[in-house]
Amino acid sequence: MDLTEQFILLQAPNPAAAENGRKLSKKGSFSAHHRTEDDTLYWAECAGSGKNPYRVSIDFTNRDAPTCRCSCPSRQFPCKHALGLMFEILGSKPFETADIPRDIADKRVKQAARAAKKEGAADEPPKPKKPNATARKKKLARQLEGLDMAEKMVDELLTSGLGTLAGSSAQTFDKLARELGSCYLTGPQTAFTRVALAVRTVQKDPSRADGAYTEALRILVALRSTIKKGRTFLEGKLKAGNFSAEDSALFEALGGVWTLEELGAIGSVRENAKLAQLSFDVSLDEARKEYVERGWWLDVDSGEIWQTLNLRPLKALKYVKGEDSRFGLLEIPALYIYPGEGDRRVRWESASTRPLTAQEQAALPRLAQPGVAGAAKLVKGTIKNTLAPKFLAVLLPVGSIGRIGEDYVLEDPAGARIVLRDRAEDGADHACTQRLGMLPREIPAGSALFGLMFYDGRDRALCLHPYSVVTPDEILRLQY
Amino acid sequence: MNLQPLYDVKERLEYAAIAGVSLLGEDFRLQRGLEGLKPLAAASPVFGKIDGGLSKLLTAPPEQRAGLLLDVLALVDAVAYTQAKTGVEGELKPLPAGGGTYHQISYGQLCPLLTALTTTGGGRMEIIQSAWENHPEFFEDYRVLPGVAAGLGDSYGEIAELNARILKQVGPSAVPVLKQGFDPAGKKEMARRVEVIAALEGEKATPWLKEVLPNAKKDVRATVVTALGGDKSNAALLLDLAESERGKSREAALAALALQDGNEVSTFWEKELSQNSGSLRFLGASQADWASDLVARRLWDRMEEILARKESLTNPEVIELRQWFSAALGKFSPSMLDFWRWVDAKLADIDHLRGEKEQRLGFGREVTALLLESLCLAGPGPLCGLCLELWERHPKETRYLSHAVVAALMTRSAAEVYDIFSPYVPTIKPLLGGEQKKALHSAVLKGLGRLSRDETTGAYQINNAWPAAQPLDRRWVKRLTNAVWKTTGEKTRTGYGGDIEEYDKILMGLLDPGDQENRQLVIAHLREQVAAGCCMYHYCRDIFRLGGDPVGVLGPAMQKHSNTIYLSHVLDLLALAQERLPTAQVVQMAKELFVVKAYQPGNQGLVKKSYPYVIAALEAGEPVPSFERLRNMG
Repeated sequence: MDLTEQFILLQAPNPAAAENGRKLSKKGSFSAHHRTEDDTLYWAECAGSGKNPYRVSIDFTNRDAPTCRCSCPSRQFPCKHALGLMFEILGSKPFETADIPRDIADKRVKQAARAAKKEGAADEPPKPKKPNATARKKKLARQLEGLDMAEKMVDELLTSGLGTLAGSSAQTFDKLARELGSCYLTGPQTAFTRVALAVRTVQKDPSRADGAYTEALRILVALRSTIKKGRTFLEGKLKAGNFSAEDSALFEALGGVWTLEELGAIGSVRENAKLAQLSFDVSLDEARKEYVERGWWLDVDSGEIWQTLNLRPLKALKYVKGEDSRFGLLEIPALYIYPGEGDRRVRWESASTRPLTAQEQAALPRLAQPGVAGAAKLVKGTIKNTLAPKFLAVLLPVGSIGRIGEDYVLEDPAGARIVLRDRAEDGADHACTQRLGMLPREIPAGSALFGLMFYDGRDRALCLHPYSVVTPDEILRLQY
Repeated sequence: MNLQPLYDVKERLEYAAIAGVSLLGEDFRLQRGLEGLKPLAAASPVFGKIDGGLSKLLTAPPEQRAGLLLDVLALVDAVAYTQAKTGVEGELKPLPAGGGTYHQISYGQLCPLLTALTTTGGGRMEIIQSAWENHPEFFEDYRVLPGVAAGLGDSYGEIAELNARILKQVGPSAVPVLKQGFDPAGKKEMARRVEVIAALEGEKATPWLKEVLPNAKKDVRATVVTALGGDKSNAALLLDLAESERGKSREAALAALALQDGNEVSTFWEKELSQNSGSLRFLGASQADWASDLVARRLWDRMEEILARKESLTNPEVIELRQWFSAALGKFSPSMLDFWRWVDAKLADIDHLRGEKEQRLGFGREVTALLLESLCLAGPGPLCGLCLELWERHPKETRYLSHAVVAALMTRSAAEVYDIFSPYVPTIKPLLGGEQKKALHSAVLKGLGRLSRDETTGAYQINNAWPAAQPLDRRWVKRLTNAVWKTTGEKTRTGYGGDIEEYDKILMGLLDPGDQENRQLVIAHLREQVAAGCCMYHYCRDIFRLGGDPVGVLGPAMQKHSNTIYLSHVLDLLALAQERLPTAQVVQMAKELFVVKAYQPGNQGLVKKSYPYVIAALEAGEPVPSFERLRNMG
């Protein structure tokens, strides 16, 4: 069984669970190691705090998504015992060959039956869902009411001035923002929370006033646009009696959440996609009180850059599985793509991983933009949209990377340059430009630099926050 | 096109949003900005649109202003984005390559380590240590290395020290990171950086140390000065520093100068000691002959003065004297050898020195013990001859016997050592002079105790530093196991709380486990110790280590105990037994240990209840159940 530590960590709900599993393996808690002849099932006993040891098994029928089973009462899945058993396999502990235990054989049969049923259901055309028109109509009306309230809040806030958002007025503001949630407008609700957070930042640390107020205004501008466009959008739907999800970024901006089924229904799905991860990072969204685990992916066929977002609310951190960096190539039968512009979000239900071949790796940097100028044009065109984020992920061809004074600078093969700089909004934990000065090797010809191109108001220039160096031989990640 | 009017308008609109749009009409700068925008508006439709929006904003009724301001701002922002420049003028200097290391490490692997290195709170030490044990390669990765360097300033001192140790092992790739952002006026973190850089670069660090020295302050300065001592070519600079520095930095300069050599340095020390005799303590680090001569001369003068005045010593004098004698450690110039001969001649007087409260200081014993340490530090050389010479002067005394054993082990054949010193370890109880002979026996054992066998190389070493002239004569083990006194009079505390004889520790250290006959002799001795009932856990572990077993002695020994044995320790022993013995023997041993009354009162109920289960598990070849599991059996 060729298992890697990274594969084990990928299965773990969080790094601590994996570490606990490693400790169990290290202190010899496992006994009665067994495996089947065909290497698809491993099982053992693990000493726990009770009289009887836990019975743990891992079924590798699907190598990319093994089924872990354990008799322990943990709510974490997979539990530390299953992860510990993986470490036992990784550590090449001797496993005795044996016949599959009866209870697991039974579970396998049931699992196969379920999978067959699901597959059968997938072949059949999905039954059209009958929307509850009255409820949907009510919801749209409530949303329109909410937009009126949001507009009023924006007006009042700007009339009295952002700087006055403190004390009791801040409390009233928070209360009103919460009410937007009950109007099904979680998008504007979050925007107001972000504005309040930005203003509080200034009040706590006046030296950060410039950046924080600029950010608050950027959010308000986007919010104004959402309100205006959202109102037209919702009124149109109400008038037309159209209550189904639509291929529009406004749906999410207002607080809508896409299901894979809905994305499939609007045809936003691509078959047999092949993605290589360029970078991975995690940040805390204070307004939404959740961790955002973001992966940046390169579509090796089309050269498009996608992002995946795994959102883990702080309240449920323990129970929502964390994502991790992925190496190699992911082959995805169905890639669901979110509506929108720029770096569109993607999701999938299942995928298999394999190492990139030398040819595939060599081809990655060739998928870069033709040059800095073209990429800048693309970025300008995207970020001027008030609803779009003020950055765009791009892969730029490298002519050379060096320094001019204190600045790191990329020069493309045509001689056009762009300043490399960390995006202040991402925080110190995302700082990685300096790491370019610590690369293990000279960047070979034909390489590319992946990062976020953004507008820096300080010198009114487009800059690139570098995330990884893509060479014909490897991807050197500056983050994770 | 000059876009400054656009940026001016943008700035005024942002101010208006912060201050409140109700004040918009009073903002004359915005009016001025609007006028500045007019030429642009005439030239381009998009600026015309902004101009129109602004005019509408300024004339709008107050309730519409907020929305209109955001609309204009959106337009201004969009134009600012599209007008953004890229690029920068100037000569592009290529980045140096090969400075760092990259490993394909996932977020899940890196995150706990980086969090432990860069945040505060409990539990971090274990995470860093565990990562260092399992994945030392992580620490050289360019994403981790800066965190480890920053961790040198961790508020938890042990983590900072651990990081320093890690960086020293990571190697030269850590140096650029440590030099980046180095603040010579910084605090402890920066001082640790200097220490690590000096350890990694050695003499190569000198140019950098000289560069940072002028701006270095307090702790950092003292560490930089100390580090300069690592390069023999820094003598001139250190001589200057010894003149110019004060306080800790001067002490650092003296400590560094002690590592230097040459006429100027020795002249400096002559002068320094004449003005400030307390500086003698710094010369402990020097192995140069001139330093040895200086220390010998000063000590000699001081001791003569003390003995001549026939007065008690004050506490500061005692402390100072001890520091000076410590400076003599490992030194062996002819003057130093003469000084030791003089000490030997005056030992009776030195022994009579008294302290502030007229108490006897026992300085003679202390000084001779120091000579033994000095010999072990210096290794084979003139001190060996001196120690043998002093012993030959007093062959019937214990004073230099340990010294002589060590000196002989370093310089003479194994057989010669055995022939000379084994008679001091009698195997038949002497009829007369027992106490004196026992003291001589203990002195020989203490000398032998300095010798140990390296388990990996099999070589015998003195103080784990100097090779013995020959491997130990194998007759020693038989002699020692048959000795009349199986003690040196001293005991060592074990991890289990009890004390074991230092003799047993020496015996284990001398034994070559490959020597079957001797191994059986030692196993038999250890079984006797188990049977005697003291420190059973410790001795059983040693027995297992040598491939023996305590079956037949451990059980009866436990019968002699009541209310003292810990069940958890017994389970550990059974687990060890399981690793080395056949199942039947383990079961037999377990059954022997079922002596309920011997266990701690708190464990007795559990022993009664769980023992059948333990035996059953062992008989089935299952692992020994843990104490926690037995306790939770309910």
